[in-house]
Amino acid sequence: MWETLAQAVINGLLIGGIYALVSIGVTLIFGVVKIVNFAQGEFVMIGMYISFFLATQFGIDPLVSLVVSMPVLFLAGVLIQHFLIRRVLGPNDMPQIFLTFALSLLLLNLSLMLFSANYRTVHTFYSDEAWHIGGLYIPVAKLIAFAVAMALSGLLWVFLHTTDLGRAMRAASQNRDVAMLMGINPNRVFAVAFGTALALAGAAGSLLMPFYSAYPFVGQVFVLMAFVAVVMGTLGNVMGALVASLMMGIAESLGIQFVGADSGLIVVFGLLLLTLAFRPSGLGARRGR
Amino acid sequence: MQTSGTLKWLGLAIGAVVMLALPQLVTSSFAIDIFIRILLFSFIGVAWNLMGGYAKQLSLGHAAYFGLGAYTSTIMQVNYGISPWIGMIAGGVVAMLASLPIGWLCFRLRGPYFTIATIATAQVLMLIFLKFRDFAWGAEGTTIPNLGSAPLMMQFEEKSSYYYVVLGLLAVGLWITHRIEKSWMGYYLVAIGEDEDAAEAVGVNAPKIKRDIYMISAFLTALAGTFYTQYIYFIDPATAFSFNVSIEAALVSIVGGIGTLWGPVIGTVLLETTSALLQSWLGSSVGGIQLTVYSLILMAVILWRPTGLIGFATDVYHRTLRRKPARA
Repeated sequence: MWETLAQAVINGLLIGGIYALVSIGVTLIFGVVKIVNFAQGEFVMIGMYISFFLATQFGIDPLVSLVVSMPVLFLAGVLIQHFLIRRVLGPNDMPQIFLTFALSLLLLNLSLMLFSANYRTVHTFYSDEAWHIGGLYIPVAKLIAFAVAMALSGLLWVFLHTTDLGRAMRAASQNRDVAMLMGINPNRVFAVAFGTALALAGAAGSLLMPFYSAYPFVGQVFVLMAFVAVVMGTLGNVMGALVASLMMGIAESLGIQFVGADSGLIVVFGLLLLTLAFRPSGLGARRGR
Repeated sequence: MQTSGTLKWLGLAIGAVVMLALPQLVTSSFAIDIFIRILLFSFIGVAWNLMGGYAKQLSLGHAAYFGLGAYTSTIMQVNYGISPWIGMIAGGVVAMLASLPIGWLCFRLRGPYFTIATIATAQVLMLIFLKFRDFAWGAEGTTIPNLGSAPLMMQFEEKSSYYYVVLGLLAVGLWITHRIEKSWMGYYLVAIGEDEDAAEAVGVNAPKIKRDIYMISAFLTALAGTFYTQYIYFIDPATAFSFNVSIEAALVSIVGGIGTLWGPVIGTVLLETTSALLQSWLGSSVGGIQLTVYSLILMAVILWRPTGLIGFATDVYHRTLRRKPARA
């Protein structure tokens, strides 16, 4: 019993690291640019396909292809921010929601046309490796993914707290108007925030590839998790999103273990609805903000 | 004023005659099938538009009510032999009641997070119906027993009969929208859509208005669910709670003209015609092409014409015929 429980917690924690990369991206964009990127999951999908093709065409290990997927998606993010998002920033919700939503639909269905709905996998030499510690089973690929995800989150935290650009991004997320008055260039800050968020999504994709299948709809799973985590972790709060993502992963895994294989999402959505009912501003919200 | 009023009634009368005569003139069952789809999604769009268009509560979870309507009437029909005409109304009531707790939760959030919460509620309902194997057939779903010609059980041999049913639904939806548009509620809805805080500051009871319009919107969407199930003789959680229903409800309204009476109808005509043409050119072999094109149209509308086709047409009309500056 205790071993089953511990095993479920470990499984959840490891996948929670990937959820964290996606949620941190969503919350970063929400905090700085003040829009919700409905297409975040599709960029995870694109990251996976980049790693898949590099692995099958050139034999590059998915973990190594991180150095391709992250810059490519960073650039994509800067361009999307510059040519699309910038045009709909304003007080009106409708264009913002439906522009990124249209982007999500477009990327998903384009990849359906180009790559078909088939599941693509990459088999690496560590894909089937696992450590047995006591009665517990720890798959190496997931452990690496978790470790890299945490390292990237840590790097982002250092970037946001020690560099001028990072501080400018935090300033813009706290009070955009005052930040502009202090001479911060909003377009540059927004472009970097969007690019960084997409680079994190791309990283999540590459990290997933050794143990997860790529298919056009794969992003939907991750983006729903991320939205729930971002609402629970208080909108725009990077640490909150990280902690909430790990909790989501564990909750989902416990749901699968103890309620049934298809119950993970019910548990997660249940948590979202409970959060909305009792702490609508998120678990980490400070009162009187 | 007098002449424009007369013209409007004349146009409406001609439109009605054309719509009523259409299935008699066009007998190809492929064409009638497309007409039915256009009318059905126009109706769903009209229902969405009441809340999403006028009050700008941008839901992407209307599949929840579509599915509840479909399941209520089907369960009543298959398990208890009750006519879907009664089941349709019952489904509407179930959807209305369900909209109360769902709205209570989702209206705590605004803007994009309201949208996400509505997606989540529709997904939860789908997952729940996947689990209900005892009285709702789980993932396999069920076929509706075919009784041949049974108008009292909403089953017809002629496709054109289905056409008239859904035409009636659309007429009801448009009439309700028209009535609301001209009432105090319509003005309150638009005020909430423009700026909820400002509307509340001048005394609009926003939570109550939003709750009421959500109930009406849910009721109408549920009727569409019952109709669709009767039309395709099949139900399962994936079709009844399909995310595509939620997407299309919002898309047709935005493309046609969000918060306008005829916007959803015009948007559906454009999108469904495009989709039908694509299918006849390329066949249905290329997966994803329909939504790829939809999303491109949606992006184009948002970037260049946020008021939709209706706004575009009004602009052109004013520029060319009236030589008056068009409203932005």
